[in-house]
Amino acid sequence: MDAALLEQMLLGALLALSVYLPLRCGQLSLATPGFYAVGGYVAALLSTRVAAFAGSGATSPLWALVAEMVLGGILAGLIALAIGGPVLQLRGIYLAIATIALVEILRVLNLNLPFTGGAMGIFAIPQPFEQADGYVLFTLVLLALACWLCQRLEVLRLGRAMAAIRDDELAAASVGIDTPRTKLIAFVASAVLAGVTGALAAHFLNAWNARAGSFDASITTLAFVVFGGSRYWLGPVLGGLVLTALPELLRPVGDLRLILFGSVILLGPLFFPQGLVTAERLRGLGALLGRAPQAP
Amino acid sequence: MDLIQILVNGLSVGAVYGLFALGYTLVFSVLGVINFAHGAVFTLGAYFTYLLIGGAIGANGLMAGFQLPFALPFWGALPLAGLGAALVALLVERVAFRPLRRRRADPLLALITSLGAGVILVNLIQLLVGAESYAIPTSVLGGLPASFPLLGARVRTVQALLLGVAVLLLALLSLWLEGSRNGRGLQAVAEDPETAQLLGIDSTAMVRLAFGLSGFLAGVAGGLVGLSVSIAGPYFGIGYGLKGLAVLVLGGLGSVPGAVLGGLIVGLAEAFVPADWSGYKDAVSYGFLFLVLLLRPRGLLGRPLPTKV
Amino acid sequence: MSASSDGIAAAAAPLLQVEGISCRFGGLLALDRVSLELVEGEIFGLIGPNGAGKTTLFNVISGLTTASSGRCLWRGVPTAGLGACRLNRLGIARTFQNLRLFESLSVRENVLVGLHHAARAPLLGALLGHGAFRRHQGRLEARAMELLALLELEALAEQRAGDLPYGDRRRLEIARALATAPRLLLLDEPAAGMNPAEKDDLRQLIGRIRDHYSLTVLIIEHHVPLMMRLCDRLAVLNFGRRIALGSPAEVRRDPLVIEAYLGGSGGGQGSAAGEGR
Repeated sequence: MDAALLEQMLLGALLALSVYLPLRCGQLSLATPGFYAVGGYVAALLSTRVAAFAGSGATSPLWALVAEMVLGGILAGLIALAIGGPVLQLRGIYLAIATIALVEILRVLNLNLPFTGGAMGIFAIPQPFEQADGYVLFTLVLLALACWLCQRLEVLRLGRAMAAIRDDELAAASVGIDTPRTKLIAFVASAVLAGVTGALAAHFLNAWNARAGSFDASITTLAFVVFGGSRYWLGPVLGGLVLTALPELLRPVGDLRLILFGSVILLGPLFFPQGLVTAERLRGLGALLGRAPQAP
Repeated sequence: MDLIQILVNGLSVGAVYGLFALGYTLVFSVLGVINFAHGAVFTLGAYFTYLLIGGAIGANGLMAGFQLPFALPFWGALPLAGLGAALVALLVERVAFRPLRRRRADPLLALITSLGAGVILVNLIQLLVGAESYAIPTSVLGGLPASFPLLGARVRTVQALLLGVAVLLLALLSLWLEGSRNGRGLQAVAEDPETAQLLGIDSTAMVRLAFGLSGFLAGVAGGLVGLSVSIAGPYFGIGYGLKGLAVLVLGGLGSVPGAVLGGLIVGLAEAFVPADWSGYKDAVSYGFLFLVLLLRPRGLLGRPLPTKV
Repeated sequence: MSASSDGIAAAAAPLLQVEGISCRFGGLLALDRVSLELVEGEIFGLIGPNGAGKTTLFNVISGLTTASSGRCLWRGVPTAGLGACRLNRLGIARTFQNLRLFESLSVRENVLVGLHHAARAPLLGALLGHGAFRRHQGRLEARAMELLALLELEALAEQRAGDLPYGDRRRLEIARALATAPRLLLLDEPAAGMNPAEKDDLRQLIGRIRDHYSLTVLIIEHHVPLMMRLCDRLAVLNFGRRIALGSPAEVRRDPLVIEAYLGGSGGGQGSAAGEGR
C-alpha cells in the first residue's frame, strides 16, 4: 500500500475520532469538517505568509508544523467554545442541522474572506517531510495519542459522565453531573482534534481550499463512525481507515467506484446496525487474546 | 434592479425552497428522520424534465446522444418528471428506509443509508449523462414573452411562473392534507403512529405516500429550477438540499406552513443581499437558521415537544 | 450555602419547605398551591390517585420542572433556577417512576456515575493512572460495591443495567441515588411491579437506609398499606391539591381522603386503604 493512501486513511481515522467524541455523550455534531478546515487554513496561512514558519531549507521546520497544529487546534477549540453553549442546548437532529449550518457558514467565509485565497484557496504549502513516509510516522504517533486518550476516557470520571449523558441526559443531571459542561468539553475536544488534523492535512495535501470543510465531508466522517460503531473508539478508527481506503481501492472499477462507495454506505448500516465494533465482538476478541477487555 | 423585481425574484426562489423543504417535512413528519437523498431526487426531476421536453444528452456518459423520440410541452413534461421523481423517492424508501424501520433500528442510521442512496443516484446520473450542464430553453414556454410589466416594473416570466406553480402546488397540498381521507391519515400518522395504527390507518402505506409526494414535489421543483437557472451538473441538487434543510428547520420540523414560510423568508433575504456581497449570499440562510435555532429551538412554527419524565 | 457554615440556622429551619407551588401545563393545572415541610430524618409519604400531581411535585423539588408559581426552600434558601445538577449537589437525590438507568453501562458503573461528585481527581494523574489515582479509584470502587451490597445487587455488578429484571432495576436506581450522598431521597413508586414479599423487603430496606445514612425520605407509592406502615407522615394529593396531611392514622380517618379514594377513579385503591388498618 502506498504511503500517501495510508496517510489519508490515518487522517480519516483522526477525523472519525473527532466525530466520535461528541457522539460518545450522545451529541450528533457534524461540525468536524468545519473545524478541520479552520485548522488547515491556520497552517496554510502561517506557513505560506510567515517566513519563520516556512523555514529556509528544503523542508519546513518540524517545530513550525507542531506550532501550527497547536494554533489550529486552539482556534478551532475557541470557536467551539464560543458557540458550544447555545448550540449544545439543541437536541438530536436539531443539533445535527445546526452544526451543518455552522460548517456551511465557515465554508462561505473561507470562500470569501480577503485572505483565504477565494475558490482557489492557498497552495504551495511547504513540506515538513521529504516523503509521505514522514507524514505517516508523524500521524501514527498523533493517532496513537488520540486513541490512548480515548481509552483512558473509559475509566475516567469524565468518560463515565459522557456515557451517562449518552444513555439518559436527564438522569445524568439528576445524579449531579454538570451536563452542559460535559457536553461542551466533548464538543471542544472534538473541535481541537479536527483543527489539529486539518493543520497536518494542509501540509500533506500541499494545498487548501474551502472544499475541505463541506457538507459531503460532514456526512462522510459521520459514515466513518456509524460504519465502525460509535460505542468504542476502535470503531471510528476502523471506520475511518476502511472507508477512506475504499474509494481509492475501488479506482480500478473506474466510474462505478463512487456508486459502489454509495452502496457500501447504504448497505453497511442495514447489515451492521451497531457498526463493525460492538461490545460483544470486543469481548470475543478479548477472550481470544486471553485477557479481560476494558471495553464497555 | 428595482424593488418589485427583487421581490418577485425572492418570492419565486423562496417558493421553490418551500416546495423543496415540504418534501423533507412530509417525510420527517411521518418518520422523524431527514431524507438526505432528497437533493438527488430533485436533481433527477430536473434531468427528467430536460429529457421530456426533447432535450438531447451531450457527448459524455453512457447515454451520449440519447434523445426521446418525442418532445412534450413544458406543461406536460413537468408533472411527468414529478411522477418519475416520485417513483425514485419510493425506491429510496424501499431500499434505504424500510429495512431499518422493519428492524426498529436507530433512526440516525437513516441519515447514512439515505445519503448512500443519494451518492448512488448522483453518480449514476454522472455515469449516464456526464457532468456537463444542461439548459432548458425558455422557448418551451411557447409564445410567452420573456418578461412583462408589473406595477411599473418588468418581471421575468420564468420567475413569475415559478412562483405561480409553487403557490398552486402548496395550495393543492394544503387542501389535500386537510380535506382528503389519505391526507388526514398522513397527519394522523405524523401526530402519533401508534394511535393511528389503532385507528386502522396503514402506516406503511402512509410512509410510502409521504415519500411519493415528497419525490413529486422535489421533481417539480427540480424542473422549475432547471428552467430558471439551468442544470449545473449532477451535483447541483446538493446546494438546494442543504438550503432546504435550513428552510426546514427555520420553519419548524414537520410543519407544512412553516416550510413555506421558511422558504419565502430565505428566498427574500437572499434576494436582498447586495451584489457586492453576493459571495456571502449562501450563508444568509444558515445565519438565519442559527439565529432561529438559538432563539426558538423548535423553529418558527414548530410545536414544542412535551418532555416526559 | 453549605449547611456547615451556618449550622445553627440550618438546624432550626426544616430541611425542605414547599410553599404554595403551582404548576400549569397548557390548560392543565397539575399542581395547585401545594405546601409541605419536611423535617430532617422523617419518612414522608405522598399518596393520591393517578394524575394527582405527585411526580410533578417531585420534578419541581428535584429541579426538572419549573413551577409556575410558589417556591421551594432548601434549609431555608430558595432553590429556584438551580437545576437538577446543582440541587443534587446540595443533597437532593431521586429515583424515577419510569426507571431511568444508564442502560448500556454495567450495574457497577451506574453506581460509579452516582459517585461522580466524589471522583474528582487531578487530570494528569488520572490520565497516567499513577498510584494516588489508582488508590482513589480503589476507594470509589469499594464504596460502589458497599452500596451494591446494601441493595443486594453485588452479585450482578458486571451485568448490563438494561438486562436486569424489574425489581433489581428499582433497587439499582436507589443505589445510584444513594451514591450521590444525598440528605433527601425522593423515591417515585419504588415498589411498583414488586410482589408482596419484595414490597415487604423494600419497606424494611428503606427504613434501614434512613437509619444508616440518617436521611430524610420523601416517597410516592400507590400501595397504601405499605405507606401506612412505613411513613412517619403522609400527604394526600388529589387533582393537584393537597387534601390531607398528618400521621397515617389521621390521614386514614380524613373524610376528604376517603372521598377522593372511593368517589374518584381509584376505587380499588380505596379498598387497599381499608386493608391498611
